[in-house]
Order: sequence, then C-alpha cells, then structure tokens
Amino acid sequence: MKTAVMSTPRTNRDAQAVQTVAALVASGLILYIPANVYPVMTMTVTGDVEPLTVLGGVHELWDSGLYPVAGIVFLASIVVPFCKLASLSWLLFLHGKPTFQRQRAATLRVLRAIGSWSMVDLFLLSILAAVGQLGILASIQAEPGAFFFAAVLVCSLFAADLYQPRFIWQIDSPSAAPGRPRIHA
Amino acid sequence: MPLPSQPDLPSGWIRCPECEIPCRDRDLPKRSEIRCKRCGARVKRASQATAIQTSCALATAGLILVVLANIEPILTFDVSGNTQTNHIVTGVIDLTRQGYGPVAFLVLFSAIIAPALHLLAIWYVSAACCAHAQWPAWNTVLVWTERLAPWSLVPIYAVGILVSVVKLDMLGEVEWQRGALWILALSACTLTLSQKFDPSAVEELLGQTA
Repeated sequence: MKTAVMSTPRTNRDAQAVQTVAALVASGLILYIPANVYPVMTMTVTGDVEPLTVLGGVHELWDSGLYPVAGIVFLASIVVPFCKLASLSWLLFLHGKPTFQRQRAATLRVLRAIGSWSMVDLFLLSILAAVGQLGILASIQAEPGAFFFAAVLVCSLFAADLYQPRFIWQIDSPSAAPGRPRIHA
Repeated sequence: MPLPSQPDLPSGWIRCPECEIPCRDRDLPKRSEIRCKRCGARVKRASQATAIQTSCALATAGLILVVLANIEPILTFDVSGNTQTNHIVTGVIDLTRQGYGPVAFLVLFSAIIAPALHLLAIWYVSAACCAHAQWPAWNTVLVWTERLAPWSLVPIYAVGILVSVVKLDMLGEVEWQRGALWILALSACTLTLSQKFDPSAVEELLGQTA
C-alpha cells in the first residue's frame, strides 16, 4: 500500500505521450536543417534583392555594429531551438533510467521557461512583412524557410509541453533500487 | 503542469506537483515556500492574502490593454516619403496574403488569441475567488490558465518589435506609435501576472466554498 502512495504508476497514456514526444523531437531535429539552410525572408531595398536565412539576419545585424541585438536574435532563434531539441533528446535517452534525475527535472524547468523565446524571429518576420510593402522602395517577402522554422518551433513547444516532469521519476524496472523514491519529510 | 491532486494522501502530506512524491505539508510563514526535496520543484508557496485580488486587477487591466494594443498602430516605417503603419493583425494578414497561412496563424494565435484567452481565464477564476462563488466550469477554466500560459507570448512580441525597429532603421525611418506603448504595458502586466497568479491558491479557496 505504501508504494502506491510513493510513486504513481505509469499508465498506457504516459507511454503514448513519451512516444509522441520522441516523434516530435525527431521531426524537430530534421526540420531544423532546412529551417537554417533556406532563406526565411527576402528583402528588396531599392532594387537590391537580398534573401536572408536566419543566420544571415544575425550576420547583417552584427555587421552593422548592433552586437547586443545580434546576440539576442542569435540566442533566440539559433541557440535556443537547438538546445531545446538537444536537451529533450537527452531527457528521452535517459527516460526510465534512475540517473541524473534532479538535473533532468531542472533542465525541463529551464526548457519550459526559455522555450518560447525562439518565436522572436517569427514575430519579427510578421512585423517586417507588414511594414515592408512599399513597392520597389522596400519590400519584404516571407520565404519557405519560415515554414520550416515555424514547424521546428511548434514541434519543440508541443514536445516540451507533453513531456511531464513526473516521467523523469518513473523507473523502468523495480530492481532499479538507487533511484527508488523514498518519502522525504 | 497538472494541478496537484491528493485524494489518497493522509492529512499533513502534500504531493509534489512535478514528481508526485509526498512531501510534508505545513503552514508557511510569509514569503516562504516548500520545495520538493527530491526534485527541487516548488510544492507550495505562502498564499499572500491579497494575491488573488491583485491577479484579478492585473487581469482586468490586461484585458483592456489587449484591446488597446490591437487597435492602435505600433510603428510607422518611412522610406523617402512613402509610409506604412502596422498593427499586430496586419502582419498576420500580410503573411497570409503571401501564402504563409500556417505561419500567420501561429503569430495570430500566440500574439493575439492565446494572450487574450489566457487573461480572460485568469480573470474568470480570480474574479470568482473575489466573489467567493463557484462560477460555472471554474475547474476547467483553471486548467486552461495553465495550458495557455506557454502560448501567451506578448512579451516576446515586444522584443520582436525592438529587433524590427533596429532592422528597419537601417532601411528607412521608423517612428514609434502609441500601440507599442500598450504592448509594453501588456507585457509588464502578463509578466507580473505569471509571478502573482497561483492556481493552487485558487483551487484551495474555491474548493472550500463548496
């Protein structure tokens, strides 16, 4: 009876959720490549057509000396999505094992807090697309990379949301004694 | 994060909302909290007597700001005399027109719909607390306050505006409009709410009124 109180049993739905998370992370990692290779937008300024990838946008900001802004965009749209997918893979890799549980719990907490920062790039795109409709003077068009980028974001947001903190504490076999939960007062 | 439910625990124990291990419950002095000794998550925090009223006030203010932020223009972009002004919605419309419907929807949802619904849900449950009445479906609405939270991204939109101003400044002249101010105020409102609003306090209070 005591064990029933200490650890909640893993249900079939939990197992399904973990599979869904794994599928989302895998698709996110695959989509991350086209999201960074294809241009996200094209800027046409007085006749100069310039396709920009995510990294290209950062580069442009960096070149014009706006280091803090370039840093924010670089962190938010390149580092955060990758770290998110990488750490979710790590959580999935160790799923059901009684190792690094406290660190994994902390990672998941950080992941959920910073995860949405990558949306900056899409909001930026929507603002630029809205004001950049001045014909040949300045026109800003969305490009296919935006699709992939949005897909990566949706995958990682849903994955982090679906992976419940309690999954970390569900151990595969009862023989895995070291991580066996005990009552803490 | 699911709301802690502990029907099977003896009194004096409380389940950690994250790892679900039972932890000792106790009355908390002001500004203190119980952290789970196993996973480090916050199990319970001292409920400030006025926190729910504050949430209610902030949510009310937020709902007004959502309307203002959406009807007032954000910024004006000027290239040699040709100007263009934008709202949050115009970005969505233009992306749709360029054939990027799904991307536009994501922007629409996380910058307009989710923040508005999130504030509405918080307002509903905290107003019910203030009225000491179990308004219909408060339980469901309470769950939605947590589900919508990760999609309510107005503060991120504010950062997006900043970056876009920097970018546009290289191409032409940018002028701030009043909408940007409302969005800033709305971000402050949302961020304070995420600190102040405590779903478990609401659950406790409304559960007792039954």
